[in-house]
Amino acid sequence: MNKVLGNKKSIAVFVLPAFIIYAIFVLVPIGYNIYVSFLQTDLMSPSKFVGVKNYINLFKDKTFTGALRNNILMVIGSLIAHLPLALLFGNILFQKIKGSHFFQTVFFLPSVICGVAVGLTWTFVYNSEFGLINKFLEIIGLESLQHVWLADKNLALFCIIVVVMWQFVGYHMVIQIAAMKNIPLSYYEAAEIDGASKWVQFKSITFPLIKPILKVDAVLIITGSLKYYDLVAVMTGGGPNHATELMSTYMFYQGFRTLKYGYSAAIGVILLILCMCSVLLSNFVFRTEQVEF
Amino acid sequence: MKTSTKERVFLVLKYVILIFFTILCLYPLLWLFLSSFKTNSELYSNPWGLPESFSLANYIQAITEGHILQYFGNSVIIAVSAVVIAVLLSSMVSYAIMRMQWKLSKVALQVFLLGMMIPVYAMIVPLFSMFNKMHLLNTHLAVIIPHIGISFPMAIFIMSGFMGALPKEMEEAAVMDGCNIYQIFFKIIMPISQSSIVTVAVVTFINIWNDLLLPQIFLTDSSKMTLPVGLTEFQGQYTTNYVVEIAAVIITIIPSIIVYIWLHKHIMEGMVAGAVKG
Repeated sequence: MNKVLGNKKSIAVFVLPAFIIYAIFVLVPIGYNIYVSFLQTDLMSPSKFVGVKNYINLFKDKTFTGALRNNILMVIGSLIAHLPLALLFGNILFQKIKGSHFFQTVFFLPSVICGVAVGLTWTFVYNSEFGLINKFLEIIGLESLQHVWLADKNLALFCIIVVVMWQFVGYHMVIQIAAMKNIPLSYYEAAEIDGASKWVQFKSITFPLIKPILKVDAVLIITGSLKYYDLVAVMTGGGPNHATELMSTYMFYQGFRTLKYGYSAAIGVILLILCMCSVLLSNFVFRTEQVEF
Repeated sequence: MKTSTKERVFLVLKYVILIFFTILCLYPLLWLFLSSFKTNSELYSNPWGLPESFSLANYIQAITEGHILQYFGNSVIIAVSAVVIAVLLSSMVSYAIMRMQWKLSKVALQVFLLGMMIPVYAMIVPLFSMFNKMHLLNTHLAVIIPHIGISFPMAIFIMSGFMGALPKEMEEAAVMDGCNIYQIFFKIIMPISQSSIVTVAVVTFINIWNDLLLPQIFLTDSSKMTLPVGLTEFQGQYTTNYVVEIAAVIITIIPSIIVYIWLHKHIMEGMVAGAVKG
């Protein structure tokens, strides 16, 4: 037995192909990216080592700080939609209600559809001339509220956040329902006998027991919001006048449109640090509150 | 047990909320579907109603002039080859880590799982430079290889969880019967891991199929583009003729919806697995 499972050669055959790909195309680029972020380079002509100058310039760059602010707004908007709202849906569907499975499947659907198609769908919904929203406002007699939604620099980001909410609320709801299903039914039966109302049951059984998952979910929401790209790229391309720029779209713009690869790599490093911070923070908080059933 | 009036009111309220959001989820898609049959002027004059006729003209134009089938084919090539390799290699690693006996197995697992928190933006510039030097830019390989690498953490996470829970007796019996390690893996382990393999394959497939960033950066020829990039090209081309673009969006969405209806249990399970078990 040990001879078969401990054979060095077969272990190498099983592990090395994946590890080599992973090392060359994931681990090495991350290290290399940190190095590039200290360079001024277009990847063709000889590059110049400039130390932390890219980072200093980034924080002086109004568009980058704007993108950072937009990302933070995105995080807040997503947290609002994907925690309380998803929890409301999740709690309704977790109780034995008719059609629960159908509703879950429908709510989850948008998160499976390609972001580009979702973005385009909503560009049509927001379209100022034939879009559903303006036409609807016309029907109920509120023409004064009509806008050229995505071209308005004060409204465009808000419009995109609404789409993010719409697309992923079902995804987070299903995560939360999966957590609820792990709670032993006997807790609810006991509460039922004691005459606890549904609200009390939620407040004192469901919520405390799914708290650990909610924390993991919050991290997913935060890292997810930092990584959004498709929707903005398709719906506004970062415009009008950089009003909806995110770190990801700005990184693409700086790297692959203006060819400032060092600058672009520095944005990548900042995104990496932000993602790692939110994961490490959650691991720290999560460990201290392990719940056993 | 008699339900009180209060409870009944609550039940109605719950259904109102659920049905409202169901409409919110499905109506934009349905509206888009109906619009895809309209003419451009109909879209402006009659945005709510049914199209005058269910003509396929927009679809034909999207396919013949918009090359949507070509993009579709490219997407299939990239997604299928990346998924097959990623699933095979990650199940081999997961098996080696969970069942074979070597000192660094736990370290290897940690190194792979570390990748879950790494955003792709932190490696895109170096990858571009590497592929440039390797003359791989503007080939499908430049999109396939990084996708394989990126998919490992989640795939190994799901599969190692499954393989760690398999009973030891099966392998012992197989060894008694004189099977070698490859026979054990391909004839016993792979077949019984089928459900987790399907889950990993479906989730990886969706991620790659939907991805915009990598093909947008690594491919330049229109004839090599994937569907999501192709759709963005429509945007520039048909700024006034929206209905063709709408038809192209529908062609992109329909396969996803069909696969989703068919495999939604696996998809939902797989996509939330990372959160719930982690």
